[in-house]
Order: sequence, then C-alpha cells, then structure tokens
Amino acid sequence: MTIKTALMGAVASLAFAPMAFADGHEGERGRDGELRIIYWQAVSILNPYLSSGTKDIDASALVIEPLGRYDSSGNPVPYLATEIPTVANGGVSEDLTSITWTLQEGLVWSDGTPVTSRDVQFTWEYCTAEGGGCAQAAKFEGVTSVDIVDDLTVTVNFDGPTPNPYQPFMGGQSPIIQAAQFADCLGPRAPECTDANFAPIGTGPFVVTDFRVNDVVSFAANENYRVASQPAFATVVFKGGGDATAAGRAVMETGEFDYAWNMQLAPDVIAGMAEGGVGSPVSAFGALVERIEVNLTDPSPDLDEGIRSTAEAPHPFLTDPAVREAMSIAIDRELLVEIGYGQAGRPTCNLVPAPAIYASDNTGCLTQDIDRANALLDEAGYMDTDGDGVREMADGTPLSILYQTSTNAVRQDFQALIKEWWSEIGIETELRNIDAGVFFGGDPGSPDTFQRFYADVEMYANVFDGTDPQSYLGAYLCDKAPRPDTQWQGENINRFCDPAYDALWQELTSTGDLDERGRIGAALNDMLTKDSNVIIPLVDRGRVSAHANSLGGIELNVWDSELWNIAGWHRISE
Amino acid sequence: MIDAMFGTNFADGAQRIISFQSRSPVFDIIAERMPQTLWVVGMSYVVGVLIALPIGIISAYKQYSIFDQIGTLISMIGFSVPTFFTGVLLIVIFSTMVPLDSIFWLPSIYDTTHEVTDWESFKFQMRQMAMPVFVLALFNAAQISRYMRASMLDNLGQDYVRTARAKGMTEKIVVLKHVLRNSMIPVITVIALGVPQVFGGAIITEQVFKVNGLGQLLITAIQGSDIPMVMTLTFMFAILIVLFNLIADVLYGVLDPRIRYD
Amino acid sequence: MPDGALPVLDVKDLKTVFKTRGGEVHAVNDVSFSLKPGELLGVVGESGSGKSVTMMSLIGLLPSPPAEVRNGTVMFDGDDLLNVDAARMRDIRGGDIGFVFQDPMTSLNPVFTVGMQIAEPLRKHMGMNKKAARARAVELLELVGIPDAERRLDDYPHQFSGGMRQRVMIAIALACDPKVLIADEPTTALDVTIQAQILELMKELRTKLGMAVIWITHDLGVIAGIADRVIVMYGGQIVEHAPVADLFADPQHPYTQALLTTIPSVSGERSKRLTIIEGQPPILGAAPTLCPFRDRCNKRVEICERMMPQRYPVSGQHDAACFHADPGIPKEKAVGHAG
Ligand SMILES: Nc1ncnc2c1ncn2[C@@H]1O[C@H](COP(=O)(O)OP(=O)(O)OP(=O)(O)O)[C@@H](O)[C@H]1O
Ligand SMILES: [Mg+2]
Repeated sequence: MTIKTALMGAVASLAFAPMAFADGHEGERGRDGELRIIYWQAVSILNPYLSSGTKDIDASALVIEPLGRYDSSGNPVPYLATEIPTVANGGVSEDLTSITWTLQEGLVWSDGTPVTSRDVQFTWEYCTAEGGGCAQAAKFEGVTSVDIVDDLTVTVNFDGPTPNPYQPFMGGQSPIIQAAQFADCLGPRAPECTDANFAPIGTGPFVVTDFRVNDVVSFAANENYRVASQPAFATVVFKGGGDATAAGRAVMETGEFDYAWNMQLAPDVIAGMAEGGVGSPVSAFGALVERIEVNLTDPSPDLDEGIRSTAEAPHPFLTDPAVREAMSIAIDRELLVEIGYGQAGRPTCNLVPAPAIYASDNTGCLTQDIDRANALLDEAGYMDTDGDGVREMADGTPLSILYQTSTNAVRQDFQALIKEWWSEIGIETELRNIDAGVFFGGDPGSPDTFQRFYADVEMYANVFDGTDPQSYLGAYLCDKAPRPDTQWQGENINRFCDPAYDALWQELTSTGDLDERGRIGAALNDMLTKDSNVIIPLVDRGRVSAHANSLGGIELNVWDSELWNIAGWHRISE
Repeated sequence: MIDAMFGTNFADGAQRIISFQSRSPVFDIIAERMPQTLWVVGMSYVVGVLIALPIGIISAYKQYSIFDQIGTLISMIGFSVPTFFTGVLLIVIFSTMVPLDSIFWLPSIYDTTHEVTDWESFKFQMRQMAMPVFVLALFNAAQISRYMRASMLDNLGQDYVRTARAKGMTEKIVVLKHVLRNSMIPVITVIALGVPQVFGGAIITEQVFKVNGLGQLLITAIQGSDIPMVMTLTFMFAILIVLFNLIADVLYGVLDPRIRYD
Repeated sequence: MPDGALPVLDVKDLKTVFKTRGGEVHAVNDVSFSLKPGELLGVVGESGSGKSVTMMSLIGLLPSPPAEVRNGTVMFDGDDLLNVDAARMRDIRGGDIGFVFQDPMTSLNPVFTVGMQIAEPLRKHMGMNKKAARARAVELLELVGIPDAERRLDDYPHQFSGGMRQRVMIAIALACDPKVLIADEPTTALDVTIQAQILELMKELRTKLGMAVIWITHDLGVIAGIADRVIVMYGGQIVEHAPVADLFADPQHPYTQALLTTIPSVSGERSKRLTIIEGQPPILGAAPTLCPFRDRCNKRVEICERMMPQRYPVSGQHDAACFHADPGIPKEKAVGHAG
C-alpha cells in the first residue's frame, strides 16, 4: 500500500465514519455497556508528558489525542487534524523545515470548550518548559517554534531540513492537552497538578471518572466526542497489576476481562489459554527481526589482532554470495516460528518488514529448499572431495563455520535446528553462546561482543525506534564497520561495504516524500537481504495481546498505542 | 485517617509528600489502598486466627490423634506451600474450571472500585474476597495454630491442671479456662506482633489476585524507585511494628499477673 | 479410733503401670488398704516407692497415657472409683475427696487469683453464689492460718510464699468438707510451727467433721504424732501395715526396721546420728515376682530368692510382707546380709 492510498483510506474512513461501521454494530453512544481492560502493569499517571510507561501512554490514549496517529501498518492517519500534511499537499514546506497542521472544524474538549491552535502551541510549550522534566522531549527535538496561523492552523518550525516531520503531535506519546487546564502547570509545577495529571480534559472517546494510582482507572464515554455513535462502550474499567499469565487467563479463560495487553508468554501457554474459548490472542508485527548476520571478514584466530575480522582479511568463502544464499534457503523459517514464537512471530525475508511503505515484497526465502541450496554450492564449485560430508573450497579449506549468539533458550533451539539444516548442504557448523551481558555489552576489550564478531555468523534481533528506518539502515554504511580504530563500535558488523548502498542512503536522507522514502528504504533493504544475503532474516517478532471473542473492532498496532482505535471497539455477538 | 494518626499537617496541604511515580500526595494513595488491604489482608488475619486457635487447642488436647495428625499436615502444607502456588491453584479451580454461571465461580481479579451498598453487593464483595482471604488465612492459620498447639501442650502438662481436675472441674473448664488462659499469653503476643504485617499487605497474594493494596503499592514503588513512597511506607511500617511491640508487651502484662509494670 | 466401722475407702489389689518409651514402669503393685471414717492413715516410704502414684490412681488423676490402672477396685460410697462415669468422678473429686498435692509451687494456676481458685470447687460442689463462696474462702484461708485473709484473696499465687501456697492448697482441698482428705506431703514446705498448726487443724477437723485422712510423709515423727495406722511402701508395694504404736514398737519388715533407725535422734551419739540404708531402690521395670527389698535386705533368707512374700498377719491389725513375719518360717534360718 502506498502512502497515497493509505491517506485516502484514512480520509474516507473519517468522512464516512458512520457508514464505515454500518455492518450491524453502529448505534447509540454507550450502547455496549462496560469494557474491561487489564494491563499487567498498573497505570501511575494519565499524562504521557510525565511518564514514558506504555501503560500510562495507553491509558491516556482513551482521553487525549494527537493530531495524527499511525495505523496498524505504520501509516500516518489524521486524528484531530483534517489531513496528514505532506510536501505534495503543501502541508510540509519544500525545504522540509516546517509542517503546517489544520485542526478539524468544530472540535470540542470534553468540557465543551473548543479546541484551538493555541492548545497545540501550549502542548509544545508545556513539554519544552524549563524544569518540567518532560518525558517526551525527544518528540520535540529540533522544533524551534510552533506558530499559530489562525484558530485552527498551526505551523511547526524545525531548525533544519527534517525529512520525517511527523514527530511532534503524532502518536500516543505526543497528544494535545488543554491549555486552560494545564496553564498553571508549566515547568517545575508540572508534577504538582495532580488533578490535571490524573484526569486530563481531552478530546478522546472517554473521560476519566475515577483514578486509583497503580491500581485502576475508570472511564465514561465522552458526551462531546466528535463521532456521534462512538464510543460504543458507556464505561471502561482499566485494571492494572499482576502478571501476563493472570491477565491472559482473565481474558481467555475466565472471561472476567475483555482485553489484556502484551502477552509475553510462551507460545504453548497462550495456545492453552485460547482453548478456554472465551477469548483469543491477537498479534501485530513491527520491525523487530531475529536475523543471522554474516561476517564478510575472516575471523580466523590464526590472523593477527587488528587484522582478524577486519576488512583487511576478507572471508575465504562467506564473501561468495552463492554460499550465503544457500545458507539462507536451507532454513525452514516456518518451523523456527512455530518452535520459538508461535503467535508472536512470523517468517520474514526482510530486514525492514514494516511499516508497510518500507516493506519489500521479498518472499523468496520463505520456502526451505535444500536441493537448490546444494545445487548452488555445487555450481559454485564447493565439493565434498574427501567424503567427510563437508564441502571444501578448491584449495581444500572446508566450509566450516562458527555460529554464535547470546545465551537464550529459544536462540539455542534455533542454533541446533539451523546447524542441522546447514549440515544437509555440506556446511559444518560449530555452535557457541555467550552471556547476553557480554555479547551485547560492547566492551571494546572483550573478544566476545557481537560487534567484534570473532565468528563467521551470529544471530540476534534488532529494531528501530518509531516508524522511520533511516538511521537503522544507515548502520550498514561502509564507515560504520566496527574495527580497532572505532574501539570496535558500530553496527555494520558484517563489514558490508557497497558504494551504491551508501549513495542510495544519502538520497534517503534528503527525501521528504513518504512514497519515495518507502521506495528507497525497500531498495536498501533488498541490497542487504535478497540481493546479497549478507543479512539472513529469520523471524519478524511481534506483539501479542488478547481480547474477548465478544469484542470487535480491535486492530493491534505496534506503531502507536494499542488502544489507538478504541473509539470504534464494540460488542459483537459471538 | 492516616493524617489523623500522624497529625493533620499533611491534610492541610502544607507540606505534602509527593510520590515520584504518580506525582500525587503519598498519603492520598495510601488512604486509597487502605480499604482493600484491611478487607482482604485484615480479614484473612482474623479468619486465620479464628481457625488457628481451635485447631491448636484440639490438636494439643488430643495430641497424636487423627485430628492432630491432619492438623499438622495441613499446617505444614499451609506453611510450606507458597501463596503464589495456592493462589493460582484456586484460580485455576474456581475461576477457570468452574463454569462462569455456577454459584461456586469466584472472580480471579479483585475489583477495588466495588462498593458495598446492599446485600447483593455485599455478596459480591464476599465472593471476590473468598480466594485471597482463604489463601492468606491458610498461611496465617498454619503458623498460629502451631504456636497455639505448642503452648497448649506446654501447659497441659503443668501441675495446676491436675489441681483443677482434682477440684472436680469439667474438662471444658480445665482446658478452656485454666489451660487456655495460660497458653494464650505467648500466642497473643505472636498475634499482636503479626498485625503490622496486615498493614504491610501481602505482596504476593495481592499480586496474584490483583488486590492492589499496600503490599502492591510498596512493590511498585520499589520497582519505580519512588523514594518518597517507599520511605513513607517503611516509616509507617516501622511505627506500626514499634506500636504493636508495645501493645504486645502491655498485653503480656495484662494477661500474666506475674508480669506487671508498676 | 472408731474401731469396727465400715471403711469409707477400700482399696483392693491396685496395680498401676506407666508405659514409657523405655518400657513399662510398674509403679504400684497389688496395693490393698482401707480407710475408716475419721481415721488418719499415715503412708511412709522412700522417694519413688509409689505413694503419690497410688493415691492419684484412686481418683483417676494420672494422665493416661502414659499411666494405666491395670487392676483393682477402689470402693468409695458404694461405687468402684475405677469404674464410675466421668460426671460422678468429678462430683467426688474436690467434693467428697480432697487432694493436697506434693508440689505447692506449681500446683496453683498462676493466672487466677487465689480467691477464685478456692471459690471454684465451692461454687461447683456446694452450689454457692459468688458472695457466699468468697465468704467461705476467707474462712478457709483463716482456718489454714493465712493472716489478712480477706485482702489476700485477690492476690495471685506468685505473691504467696511456698508455705502459704501449701496452705492455700490445703484450703482448697478442705473447701467442700470432704469425707476423705488425701494429703501428699502437705507439710514439707512448712516451718515447724505452721506444721504443728496444720497437724492440729487436721486432728480437729477429723473429730469435728469425721473426715478420714491419708497422710503421706517422710517424717516418721509426724506419723508418730498424728496417725492412727501406718502403711509402709517399698518398690510399689505395701511391705508393712500396722497401728502406729505397734509399728514403732515392733516393726516386722526389715525395711521398716531400717527406716526407723534412720530417724536422727538428738540424744544419740554423734556418730550414730544418721544411718543410711545401703543399696539402691529397685528398678520397677517388670511386675515383681520376688520381694523388692531383698537386694538390700540384711535378713534375706534362701526362700526370698524363690518366692514372693505375702502380707502375713502379725497381730490384729498388723501385717508385714516378709517371710520373717510368716509363722511357718523358722527364724533361725535367717542368713546375714549378702554384703
Ligand atoms: N509419669 C510417669 N511416667 C513414668 N514413671 C512415673 C511417672 N510418674 C511416676 N513414675 C514412677 O512411679 C514411681 C513412683 O512414683 P511416686 O511419685 O509415686 O513416688 P513417691 O513415693 O511419691 O515419691 P516421693 O516421696 O519422692 O514423692 C517412681 O519410680 C516414678 O519414677
Ligand atoms: Mg510423691
């Protein structure tokens, strides 16, 4: 899906909101009674500017809203704004230094007063006020001013070209708060405004009726909500505490709750609970990818320190794309998912499998093909000449590799399976696992860090923050390779170096158009994966929540608050 | 309520202690947590004591009888099986295995916002308290019944028991008046010293049943490095512990004429 | 002594055994004696000879387990006390039979006032109300010689001296004008003057109320002063039984004889002032089949190794469990102490 169609869809769903839900569950506001949500972490405060906890951000999402959110594919959709400003529609300046938002007409706060551009400006002032300790200050980084154009229009100015201007006032971490309510809460006084922090006045579908710190929040439908038929629920109980197991049980087995957040549980435990029949798990996938990274340099201990695992010593056979491709297609990713992650994982061939605009339609690796892998190696001239089951290079060097990862039950299962598959294509694998504290510790003196990469391949998971992969993809530039003179820091652990890649990435940094960014991002992704197999992606790890079977309208979202579309949640007959 | 205990300067809003986590006055939160802690943990203590005393008395009086053996077994179980196990076991039985519409179905998650206004809501309160109270009461009862039994055994062998029998007193009077009165002295002390734990909440059980009382408050405060909250709670517990030590000492004097503070 | 009257208490073949982890302890073996109304029966015998156990067996005060009364009858008022129901037994205890225990320090309940502990049997057996019981308790305390009785009623046992506690115990035992008073070394903790007072009191109550008394003591002097008849116990058995005068004048059993010589005499020569009985008391591990004293006996004869002596009558009310008292055995055959 391109950004244009996404935007059109979003606009359509807003414009025809009553119609969009015309499939038998529209009706009066509050018709469906009580909605019961359980988070195994309890809510401490309902002001995301004073807490970065997901539970706090999610609970406040019922009350206060940003100008725009990300939908479940990671595409921006307008909330309080009429549309998402882009260069194309003139909302983002050509030089990428400002973005102008327009508020919907007729928006009111839950107390009945109108929402104006002053509230937007105030929100920026609030989070950037001296001494306020704003937890979301990063959202406003680079913002030089927020100017009121008129009552409904506001311009955000940046200190330089900002290809991704959708940071301030976008997403659950940056909602608009009411200037009138928080007027006296600026700077050091922010924490003192307990009443406001515990019951902010918002534009969202619900208002706070009772708040018990670290225990339970009660909400009621906002009578002034902009969609007449929403929310479907008259009240919401937002209970906190306990653990993921108990929360899952309460939704999927006992039916005491309708929605449980973040089921960090073993796949078989979730499956067992789902057999209870009253609720089901629901998953959503972001860009957290478990992958095998291939070392393009020679980690042989025979080499001198300073040469070993650096660009000076190219790997004898892993520099051959045929070998890497054979290794990739020898893996049965479906089986890995089933064993390690269940509902919370899906096979992937991409380094950036999401958001949708960046995701390449790269599915070539999904079916295991041992025969083709063998054929590839045969063609490339790696033959088992001495009959020991391991192929050798022409000079007799066996295809024998060291495969390391951090100590973790799932990862060791993966290692064992993959070693087996690789042995079927004549590659001998030695396994090693290293304590996560050391492996990810980054100690320049340690030979066991993932950056040092004193192994042929290694496996771990990584992800980028937010919806924009620019800096994530930037990690694979030539000069980002860890080496002695960078104190072994850097994330280009493969020592990958392709001038074409570097050039394309530079282009990304100066592109503002989202569609274009998506195209470039996908191309960069392909250069690392499909085209070269320098990175062998395995599993896209997602998030699982659980909901009652009688609860409809849920669309789990990893790019914004899980409760981003709670206004549309409703009861369905099972 | 807490303000009254510590002097009213906090309630005046003058110098309030503010929680780091929620940025709200610590005492407001504590006051909010009191009801469920007292309902659940307090009630379980009362129930535990009420179960423990008769079990202790009968076990001692009928030492090595079947009753005593079963009582010993149950208290060993109650004492050694952790509450997170018994709690989850009960949830699995009464919340998931028992069908939802059965009268034996019990909620696994405590509703702290529930208010008792009439008979129906009182019944619901009893139902939602049933499992956490049972779990904690079993644990408390296990402990106290052992004390009671030991103390009774100690006293049953005393010469004054023979004197009471020689006077023609019934077994009921001998045991429940002469022996019990003496046996209660150390047990009352143990019970009094256990009361501050009620206010400390039951961290694990509160967690299992999502009671979110003072125990959960303390643990979340510790996890969130909420120093003002942790300090206030621990200071409060310290005061309670000192207070109940004092009460235990005074009770000792009241119960045992040999110890009098003049 | 009202000779010929029906006995108020008649004990036959009483046998009490303790079952302990180390095996059985035969503490009382075939003890028989009777007690006539108004009579004072002295019981003497060395420590561990079974005096206390015998008396406690009578009214079922031994804890069971470990104690077990194996055999015997204890006739009181037409009932066999070993077979009456619990309610009747409770009426008898404290009502018809008063008991003064050996250890005054621990026999009172530390958490109740002395007044309450005296009033308890009064209210149960005599049906008195609180006030009447209290008045009677004052009387009783005065009777046993506790000064300022009225005030001391509200004191706790720990506020009394050992001797005073002993007297409180006596007051409790006497509270309901019992027909029989069993006093287990009641005067051991008392000084001589108080002891004399108590003895005087006993004599008086006997005549006034017709109360029969069993008086256990180690003090042969006391026995000589107040007892009508005496039984001597050794190793859980009665080895000699005689009217007090006969016992002192003509002891038959070698143990009795030895016992009498242990009385320190003020007039005696210094070296002879204290005599001891050589050897150890018997171990009561099994039911005895031979004379329990034979190991320590200086008059042991050959038959002592084969048979158990019966209680042979010596004269009217005097008998002794020794072959030397058996007219059938010629006394010349006696051999010296095995040494
Ligand atoms: N509870 C018991 N368990 C086992 N043996 C016991 C028990 N009570 C008493 N005995 C034994 O019974 C025997 C008689 O004890 P008893 O108390 O009657 O002696 P006594 O003649 O009263 O001695 P004293 O003059 O010291 O009071 C002793 O050997 C004693 O060890
Ligand atoms: Mg004795």
